[in-house]
Amino acid sequence: MIAVRWRSSILLVAASAVGLAGFTWPLFTHPRGTENLAHASDAPWLFVILIPLLLGVVLAELAEGGLDAKGVAVLGVLVACGAALRTPTTGATGFTGVLFLLLPGGRVLGRGFGFVQGALTMFASALLMGGVGPWLPFQMMAAAWIGFLAGCLPPACGRAELWMLAVYGALAGLVYGLIMDMWFWPFTTAGGNQLHYVAGDSLAENLRRFWGFHLASAFGFDLPRAIGNVLLVLFVGAPVLAALRRAARRAAFHAPVTVLT
Amino acid sequence: MTPRSLHPIAWWVWALALGATALQTTNPFLLGLLAASAWLVVAARRPSAPWAQSFGSFVKLGIAVIIVRIVLQMLFGVRLPGHELFTIPSVDLPEWAAGVTLGGPVTAESVIAAFNDGLQLAVLLTCVGAANSLASPYRLLRSMPAILYELGVAVTVALSFAPQAVMSAQRVREARRLRGRPSRGLAGLRGMAVPVLEIALERSLELAASMDSRGYGRRAPIAARDRQLAQLATLIGAVAASIGVYGILDGAAPGGMGYPMFAGGVALLVASFAYAGKQSVRTRYRPDPWRAPEWLVVACGAVALAALLVATDVGVAGLRPDFSPLAVPTVPLLPAIGILAAAVPAFLTPALPVTR
Amino acid sequence: MIRFDRMSFRYPDQSRDALGDVDLAIEEGELCLVVGETGAGKSTLLRAVNGLVPHFTGGTMHGGVVVNGRSTATVPPREMASTVGVVGQDPTAGFVADTVEDELAYVMENLGTDPAVMRRRVEDALDLLSIADLRDRPLATLSSGEAQRVAIASVITAAPRVLVLDEPTSALDPGAAEDILAALTRLVHDLGLTIIAAEHRLERIVQYADRIAVIDGHGRVTIGDPSDMMRTAPVAPPVVQLGRLANWNPLPLSVRDARRAGEPLRQELADRKAGPHRQAAATGDVVATVRGLQHSYGTTVALRGVHVELREGEVVALMGRNGAGKSTLLSALAGSRRPRSGSVSILGGNPRSITPRELVRRVGLVPPDPSTLLYEQSVDGECITADKEHGLAPGSTRSTLDAIQPGLDPERHPRDLSEGERLALALAVVVAPGPRVLLLDEPTRGLDYSAKERLARVLRRFADDGRAVVLATHDVELVAAVADRAIVLADGEVVSDGPARDVVVHSPVFAPQVSKILAPSEWLTVAEVEAAVCQ
Repeated sequence: MIAVRWRSSILLVAASAVGLAGFTWPLFTHPRGTENLAHASDAPWLFVILIPLLLGVVLAELAEGGLDAKGVAVLGVLVACGAALRTPTTGATGFTGVLFLLLPGGRVLGRGFGFVQGALTMFASALLMGGVGPWLPFQMMAAAWIGFLAGCLPPACGRAELWMLAVYGALAGLVYGLIMDMWFWPFTTAGGNQLHYVAGDSLAENLRRFWGFHLASAFGFDLPRAIGNVLLVLFVGAPVLAALRRAARRAAFHAPVTVLT
Repeated sequence: MTPRSLHPIAWWVWALALGATALQTTNPFLLGLLAASAWLVVAARRPSAPWAQSFGSFVKLGIAVIIVRIVLQMLFGVRLPGHELFTIPSVDLPEWAAGVTLGGPVTAESVIAAFNDGLQLAVLLTCVGAANSLASPYRLLRSMPAILYELGVAVTVALSFAPQAVMSAQRVREARRLRGRPSRGLAGLRGMAVPVLEIALERSLELAASMDSRGYGRRAPIAARDRQLAQLATLIGAVAASIGVYGILDGAAPGGMGYPMFAGGVALLVASFAYAGKQSVRTRYRPDPWRAPEWLVVACGAVALAALLVATDVGVAGLRPDFSPLAVPTVPLLPAIGILAAAVPAFLTPALPVTR
Repeated sequence: MIRFDRMSFRYPDQSRDALGDVDLAIEEGELCLVVGETGAGKSTLLRAVNGLVPHFTGGTMHGGVVVNGRSTATVPPREMASTVGVVGQDPTAGFVADTVEDELAYVMENLGTDPAVMRRRVEDALDLLSIADLRDRPLATLSSGEAQRVAIASVITAAPRVLVLDEPTSALDPGAAEDILAALTRLVHDLGLTIIAAEHRLERIVQYADRIAVIDGHGRVTIGDPSDMMRTAPVAPPVVQLGRLANWNPLPLSVRDARRAGEPLRQELADRKAGPHRQAAATGDVVATVRGLQHSYGTTVALRGVHVELREGEVVALMGRNGAGKSTLLSALAGSRRPRSGSVSILGGNPRSITPRELVRRVGLVPPDPSTLLYEQSVDGECITADKEHGLAPGSTRSTLDAIQPGLDPERHPRDLSEGERLALALAVVVAPGPRVLLLDEPTRGLDYSAKERLARVLRRFADDGRAVVLATHDVELVAAVADRAIVLADGEVVSDGPARDVVVHSPVFAPQVSKILAPSEWLTVAEVEAAVCQ
């Protein structure tokens, strides 16, 4: 529904590259000399400034011309439902369903819409829960990717579509946790820690340390999230997809208007 | 001064300045002073709306970060020599679990070092929490740059619809109970999710018709060349800023690739934002004024940051104390006075209006 | 001011025209009422005035619509906002801001109005609609009457020349509906606005109309003088039906005019009594009792010590203004709420402690929005699910549904049905397990007269089958048609409880139109009068 034109594509690639760097910079920094070391530790804060700007630019570019009143209304409503899902649902501890709605959203309404929906869902839920922190631009970026890639999945129907979405949902849940841990990594360990990154060391070594950190800290959240996504897709996915498709049809986005006098 | 709420961006600039100040030092006394200033301003100027109660959660989050740091240090830290407190039995983890050594002797120095590092982050979180509690998210949305207007509307719609979605879910759950169906668990979720979503999507169409009928989406005609220029500026700015970040991180890059490129790219982006805003025909109804109190708030934050930056340049002792020989760090005077300036908005800004 | 020039319109993917060859002109300063049965095309006609049809909905339009010199063919709805203001069926669904004042300013912000002008117009709109004390209120806290007034104010601030309203009073209680009508007449007479409104509940509004446009089942529109049009319109309020029956000429549209014309009829009926066309059903077994029920939401007390007894075979109407506690009483009967004190018993059991499976065999509640009960993708799917849920023989829900509303397409999505059809489906689903007590909360929202008649017949049949039916409603005409007993709640207490005729006839608020016209004789419905006259 939101077309991704060449300009948006370039900005999307640039923003994603910077976003990726914002998550993985500990693996790649090469400071030489002590003064650069001080600058290297500024890196996370530079990204905190840059990523919102780039995200804003990409979102504005996607929204321009492609988002009319119907699009904004459907977007707002889906973002509201996603944000409402963020409070832990009854049952599983720590699992929040916020990523779930991005899967059918991106699939039915397109990858441009999925990107915007992911970013805004995180933003709106942060505003609703009063938690705008330095992690927010990164969460927005990660959720936006999840929505975008959901729209890039190959066409399928019926049970095959559900299973495809379920697998993607599981992977997305795990990768989301992995990425947010990677962002969190430099802040929880200091230089004197075996698990901390060593600037300039080889990629394999740093990855090994990160893996230790990941296991030690938040693995307990990622598995429930992935499993929860799978369960939600398998149980609730079909009617949700049907409801979204019906809404898209009734909304008649870009329906032809003919006026004959 | 007549009571009024200040412009939300003023509070955010102040809080971000304080956060940047926290990053310049690891002296626990300075950091504590900074946190106390933030707390004082929040206590004095926080409204009673529900969104303003999040300060406490941020403080708790900061404390959690400190604890996590200490625990990870105790479990995985590289052992520094010093006064031993106790010893955790050490276990060599296998290769698939990163092959690190768990446990070992825990020294006071390492614990205090971890505490200090965590404290810096905790104070940063406290400052961000202060901004969350002082600046209304709704008024912040109304102050968004015009280029993000559509997305601002989407977020506003989401914010006002989310509590209705929750109420709608409760009504649907009640209706399910009336039909004798389970309302818990996955089966219950399926029966609840679909009606709520369908109701939400129906309302969104009504909303779209209402917005369309009330003039949503009007644009000013703008010359094609100007628009292309603005878009080109956006592209160049984005690419330049990205290259600048790479230059900063990679020490081997030439000097001009780092900060100058970054700053130039960001400036170009901001300029193209502002220019694109001119395209909009919308006017603002009773926008939040930006007057002397807003400048005062921003100035206080700037003074605190400037004091720390100057102190770093001049080389005042005690900004980053060393803990290897255990000793109580000194309190440098100039930065402390600068940080106290951050608490001035608690007293010199207008009081909040009394809600009826 | 508004000119439809041989306009016809067809929605995309439809085979029939929604509107065919509409040719009418509406002058400035007129209050034009659009009437027709559900699905006739009233909403399509209204939306064509500002261009939502065809620009928002898609589709093919022949001919043209010109409003104040601007043609909707070339001007999109967002540019028409300064000429036409549109308020939809659900005003709360159209809110975009979080306080009333910001909502009023929204349309002017979009139009790029100067801030000083915006300030003035917001104040003017607050005064015109008498909502000045609501200025800072969050929109989520408004009652339905307040929300309707805010929605009207939010389009008035653009200073349009035309106001289009889709069912402005259908969701409101009588007091709020009167407020809205007073505001609308003020806008027409003081400001000279042109107002086009579609309504189902014609009792109050028909007397204020300057002209009436009738849409028949084929999308054709005829417009003319109210008395003339109402003589042959497919939908008519009781006063018009009585006028047609008694052949009054000119046809009166208000109670006052009907009283003046009705002197001969009153004399003719003076010595006849309203035949007992239904039994005073006080003889059935008691199926539900409520004793000393107290309930509160937080600090607001909703019910104070209510005593009610329900017997099988009777239809009980529960009336009272908004906030009197009707919904709370129904929820307590269905076991949805835990009362602070007092007891509720349905067939001897406390509804809160019976299992859900057993509860549905004793009591069923149809909520104000029946679509919250439905979650399948087709009518047939709902029936099959209901059969499976309650262990019924396959097809039993479907046959119940056919008895209530025959001819429903089994493949249609429940949300594509009309209001009356959706209510019928919800009723079938609730009644399928055979509850002895049936509760309905505000079922008449959005129903036209024929759907209400059908509902009245269905409820009567349910009661005659040995159920107790409780109906919480503002609609006094429905109460007059079907209720045996009436309970009036005010401020959480029972104010009167007795046979419907006694409670309703002499009350200025709850009396149906027929009884107001024929007072002091006690007549409730046109059917009663017809039966008496034809003897």
